[in-house]
Amino acid sequence: MSQDAGGSAATAGGSRRMPNIAQLMRPSERSVQVALITFVAVAVAVVASMFLVAATGGSPGDAAEALYTGSIADTAAWSETLKAATPLLLVALGACISNRAGVFNIGQEGQLLLGAGVAAYVALHLALPGVLVMILSLLAGALAGGLWSGASAVMHYTRNVNIVVSTLLMSFLAIQLVSFAVTVPWILQAPRASADSIASSESAQLPPEVRIPGFGQYPALEIGGGLIVSIILTIVLAVLLGRSRWGFRLNMLGLNPMAARHAGVRAPWLGGTALALSGAFAGLAGAIILSGQVFRLQPALSNNFGWDGLLVALIARSRPIAAVPVALLFGALRSGSSFLASTGVPNYLVDIVQALLVLAFVVPPVLAKVRSRGRAEATPPPAEPVPASTTEPEKVTA
Amino acid sequence: MTDDQTDSVPREAPALELRGVTKCFGPVVACDAVDLAVRSGEIHGLLGENGAGKSTLMKVLLGLVQRDEGTVLRHGERVEIPTPQAAVALGLGMVHQHFSLIEPLTVWENVSLGEPGRVKRDEVCDQIKTVGERYGLPISPTARVEDLSAGERQRVEIIKCLRRDPEVLILDEPTSVLTMAESQELFEVLRDVVAKENRAVILISHKLAEIMAATDQVTVLRKGSVAFRCRTSTTNPRELAKQMVGREVSLGTEGAALGLISEDSTPEEVQAAAEETPAAAPATTPTGEPTTPALTIEDVVVKGPDGRTLLDKFALTVSPGEILALYGVEGNGQATLGDLLSGLLEPASGTVAVNGATVPLNKVGSLHKAGVGVVPEDRHRSGVVLDMSVLDNLVMTDLGRVSGRFLLKRREARKLAARLIEQFNISTPSMDTPLRNLSGGNQQRVVLARELAGDPSVLVAAQPTHGLDVGAIEDMYARLRAAAARGVAVLLITTELEEVMALASRVAVISSGRVNGVLDIHEATAERLGMLVGGEAA
Repeated sequence: MSQDAGGSAATAGGSRRMPNIAQLMRPSERSVQVALITFVAVAVAVVASMFLVAATGGSPGDAAEALYTGSIADTAAWSETLKAATPLLLVALGACISNRAGVFNIGQEGQLLLGAGVAAYVALHLALPGVLVMILSLLAGALAGGLWSGASAVMHYTRNVNIVVSTLLMSFLAIQLVSFAVTVPWILQAPRASADSIASSESAQLPPEVRIPGFGQYPALEIGGGLIVSIILTIVLAVLLGRSRWGFRLNMLGLNPMAARHAGVRAPWLGGTALALSGAFAGLAGAIILSGQVFRLQPALSNNFGWDGLLVALIARSRPIAAVPVALLFGALRSGSSFLASTGVPNYLVDIVQALLVLAFVVPPVLAKVRSRGRAEATPPPAEPVPASTTEPEKVTA
Repeated sequence: MTDDQTDSVPREAPALELRGVTKCFGPVVACDAVDLAVRSGEIHGLLGENGAGKSTLMKVLLGLVQRDEGTVLRHGERVEIPTPQAAVALGLGMVHQHFSLIEPLTVWENVSLGEPGRVKRDEVCDQIKTVGERYGLPISPTARVEDLSAGERQRVEIIKCLRRDPEVLILDEPTSVLTMAESQELFEVLRDVVAKENRAVILISHKLAEIMAATDQVTVLRKGSVAFRCRTSTTNPRELAKQMVGREVSLGTEGAALGLISEDSTPEEVQAAAEETPAAAPATTPTGEPTTPALTIEDVVVKGPDGRTLLDKFALTVSPGEILALYGVEGNGQATLGDLLSGLLEPASGTVAVNGATVPLNKVGSLHKAGVGVVPEDRHRSGVVLDMSVLDNLVMTDLGRVSGRFLLKRREARKLAARLIEQFNISTPSMDTPLRNLSGGNQQRVVLARELAGDPSVLVAAQPTHGLDVGAIEDMYARLRAAAARGVAVLLITTELEEVMALASRVAVISSGRVNGVLDIHEATAERLGMLVGGEAA
């Protein structure tokens, strides 16, 4: 196919002939440049982190070792890393969908907690066989997250309310709702252990039969059902985004809404469902944390998984497959951070390291773009010579 | 070159002179040892196709690009122009082809933009008024740029430039968005600037009529080097066209693209040109014949967000196989009509029917489905997705053709794209290249190929040659004619009279959002069209 394209280009451009396959296989000059800058930026981030550790009175070597021990040193550590990576990956997958459509959902933290809350309610109140309850609670969690972000979509497409603002504010609302629900006995608060004990702000434990089953047990590698679900969803989503009509239209909508409309895309429908889906993924992540990992609803359950998942999608640049290693890295930092305390380095330093890493990954493509734009302005007139300047160098390498 | 130097010795040194300026971008030689001398008190035309090196040359002058070789002299003294600020300090000012105005800001804000120091509102406003009065460029300093017509925006750009009092004024394709009357006004202003104040003007253009009418000297660039130079009075449009393209061009068809049919052409000349065009004859359906029109627009009313009426009971029919030109001054509702037919907006009232069947305009994509293809006026806005590949852009409006129930059939899509790329002669390194990397002409071909691929009954082409070079214009004309010959009803929305004369069999004139009259091309004289454009009956 590309042969044909090259052929016609050659006929149009005179006697030019281009090696098509090689040209396609070779990464563009820009992606090499991005990789280089990223490498340097990550190195800088790591060095800066070591400085911070030293500045807070710790030893960088000890800290690194603690991080390593806590995250990937043995199967038990790996289990913790995978546990943390699961919700991060799910949230990131949802963010991939909405980002592609150009609707930026940043309210995952609340959607995740709300999903966990609704899942807890279903799991604790539904009197059905255990497996069925488990499945229904997961679906209910996803539905809750989806409706929550879907509400922002409705507000946007009917009343033109800014999506970033509304998803963020709705997120705080969701967090308050769940915090309230666990203080009211007839909703979710756990019954007091005895008449004179103080009721705490949390739900009762989920009975074992409604929890998500998994493989392996401490100290062997534990693989939760939630992890398997999220890997399957990653693959499905990667195929859908890359190969389906839906994915194509989603991309088109995100990159040029006008052209998408001309091509028959109904923005309120497609963009709205994309936003709702991203919320549903966050809700599902919450439900999976609840019934696969902690088994008890507490307002602290969300534990920044929503925010961090968004960062994972940011680094993966909205590509589901790329989100997997990034989620693993973030998961490793989380599990490793629990071992930091023993070295005297404050736990929150890991947040700073994470932030530095995000910057290290996010800034280089932008830098490369700015640089290439600067060069584009210095290139001959925008109209005709552009293809010439992009095709000519290939000729030279040929 | 050497004779030019010896020529200049006895006389006063030119206001601006370039000697042997060369600039390469990688292996591409954009400018190859270009010599150019511009004297005070004259308008110097710089003629050339897109990509001939005109813009690069000017960017060298403005300090946007650093030359590889050669020298720049101001009044005979060597100067360096490392930055745009240096260019301003040297008295060089440029009015760019694409407006660099910020739409939500007012005129005075745009004019003072980028100037250091405190913002002095009243002072700037006064200056705008004085500059406007002196050169006949009236504009309200407090008007918002987004409310201005293209002509008025151009005025703002020129005022912005003149306020800095440049000795050498460079205008890059200043008339590409202007109507004939606006262009004429502009040239009168330029004459004034040159005659009264002894400034020098460089006028970049690829319109021959303009160069002939407005300049004293002309230099033709072809493929980066100077192909020809002379006093304008000693040459003729044919000669210039030949030098620019490097071969003979025929007056009737391609000539129109070059602007050979000027506003001064007598009606006979215009008609002769019209008759020379092959498909100009209304193929099978003369006006008034009771066949079903391919496109019927009836009483369409569209209101803007601010309540202004953009289309006012707009009514028009286009028959299969004809090219109907909708001619008028920019800003009279053409853009709205284009959006309407692209399916980007819903009218307040009125109907659109394709082949007699009313199209449900409230359903997104229904017009395209009904068989209306659109080459939009601003292709970057609604015609293409720049960051998607050529392949994706070629198939995006008819995904159903290249996909199963859920998944795309990449192979079929590639087959279709390969066919279209070949058929429409789209020059691209590969079909996976982002569309952004293609030239304007090739991007336009992608749009046309895609819109024609679905075998539409109606093709709407809004300013289809805007910003294209001569070769691409010829190609576009041929394809529009071919489409009409196949029975497609072509609605050509244009502000160029030359284009109307070269292509259309009928011409409708739009004024203030309504059709002010429809003429057969043979009755369309410049005078009658002028009256209709101005909102009068004719």
